[in-house]
Amino acid sequence: MSAPSTIDGSFRDPSGRVYIYKGRIFRTVTEFGANAFEKILKTGLLATLIEDGQLLPYSIVRDPDILSQFHNAKYVLEHPKIDYISFPYEWSFPLLKKAALLHLDVAIKGLNAGVSLSDATAYNIQFVGPKPIFIDHLSFKPYTDREYWLGHRQFCEQFLNPLLLRAKLGVAHNAWYRGALEGISNEDLSSLLRLRHKMSLKVQAHVVLPARLQKKVSSTNSAETKPMAERKGLPKSSYKGLLTQLRNWIAKLEPKGGNQSVWGGYAEQNTYEEKENFEKTIFIQKFVNGVQPNLVYDLGCNSGAFSEIALAAGAKQVIGFDFDQIALEKALHRAESKSLNLLPIYLDASNQSPDQGWQQLERAGFDGRGKPDAILALAFEHHLAIGKNIPLPQVIKWITSIAANGIIEFVAKSDPTIISMLSMRDDIFQNYSQESFEKAILQHATIIESKKVTKDGRVLYWYKRHK
Amino acid sequence: MGSFLYSVASFSIVILFYSSQPVYAYIDPGTGSIIIQSVIGGIAAATTFGAIYWSKLKTIFTRKNKETDKTGGDSGDK
Repeated sequence: MSAPSTIDGSFRDPSGRVYIYKGRIFRTVTEFGANAFEKILKTGLLATLIEDGQLLPYSIVRDPDILSQFHNAKYVLEHPKIDYISFPYEWSFPLLKKAALLHLDVAIKGLNAGVSLSDATAYNIQFVGPKPIFIDHLSFKPYTDREYWLGHRQFCEQFLNPLLLRAKLGVAHNAWYRGALEGISNEDLSSLLRLRHKMSLKVQAHVVLPARLQKKVSSTNSAETKPMAERKGLPKSSYKGLLTQLRNWIAKLEPKGGNQSVWGGYAEQNTYEEKENFEKTIFIQKFVNGVQPNLVYDLGCNSGAFSEIALAAGAKQVIGFDFDQIALEKALHRAESKSLNLLPIYLDASNQSPDQGWQQLERAGFDGRGKPDAILALAFEHHLAIGKNIPLPQVIKWITSIAANGIIEFVAKSDPTIISMLSMRDDIFQNYSQESFEKAILQHATIIESKKVTKDGRVLYWYKRHK
Repeated sequence: MGSFLYSVASFSIVILFYSSQPVYAYIDPGTGSIIIQSVIGGIAAATTFGAIYWSKLKTIFTRKNKETDKTGGDSGDK
């Protein structure tokens, strides 16, 4: 029988670790963490947060067979498995904002119940559909009188600063966050913000002054810096004031230039005709009925219209991927307003999230994460094959390797989208044709059904992978 | 004139901090934040509580207005 394996990414906290065992998720609470955990249980905070849908549910394991697998644990908790793990560098602006607000809400509720959070990492939050949920049950500890908000700097670097980057400077956080993993430092953001941004007291308080003071402290002899124990501490009202001030501020942050108006006047992408949409809808419904997928990936999900059709046809959950921030925000809006189990996240398919972090094991890459039952790749392949010069057979090989069943749409060179993509460059794609597309699919899969959906040569292929 | 003075004052404060150089040294990760918390925490608390009292004051007035609306509209709904 195989032993439980640790989920890499949970090693930083000595209070416990997370394991996967027989497909189930367990969290150990060590001797080190047990005392705080017992005190937190007594406050009733965890139960309240779970009831309000803000904390991942748990049960305390009593089964001796399972307990025998975790010798050093004082407690073993079991959690429901989250089907898809995502990271802040894959979240759009509104997702990161939701996660930030959840963190602050949990912290404020905690403080009211005599509990504080030991850190403020964005990786403690996951999404189920478009809804954020806090997942670290060992981040809670009893509040001690006049303690400082230890997570303040981490909160600013992992939530506030990436949001400000977009809200103040119009730059999406994803690429930088993926490179830095721990977020954007106060010092870095401070160097980028303009004078007019620094006129804000809140920007001064949470970004510029902490960066400035950090610099001052680093240039003085460390012996001159007063240790924490000798400091006066922070009154609880001030602690709560900081959390509330940040909450009110972040709730009002919007991407620079604003996207609200886009949703208001939004009509489906104009390259799609009504009839084409209808035929695609029928094809997707038939596919979903045939495959009965639990988890579906929608590559190039755009505003999530086809994700919605897959869900309505019986798919349980869709993860939508797109590299366009506006599309992601529209898809999120769709998921929220129609209560869909759809999570739209950022993906540059030609440069997917890698395995990274400590020993390249801490944050799993795109390929090693989800196990989708089906894939939708509609109006997608040409972005790689033409847009990024990736040979068509490689594109098809990659898509079919992700899920055993799927729909891939072939976009012909006569299609207006490709004509426009090639209008400024040489057509170096002599091997790009429907024939080579079909040949590439047949190397890896069987074609169950195909359907031409436009006169310009868009064709849907339903594939079933060989094994 | 007052707003001009305010601009000059805040501009000077900002200039004071504008010269901040990048810091690459790794020390206690929270020192800057810990020092600033004592300074800004009090202000944050004051503004938050101020806002709470302000919104309470507002609800007292809006509630009064709503109550008058409700009594006027109830008969029409049924």
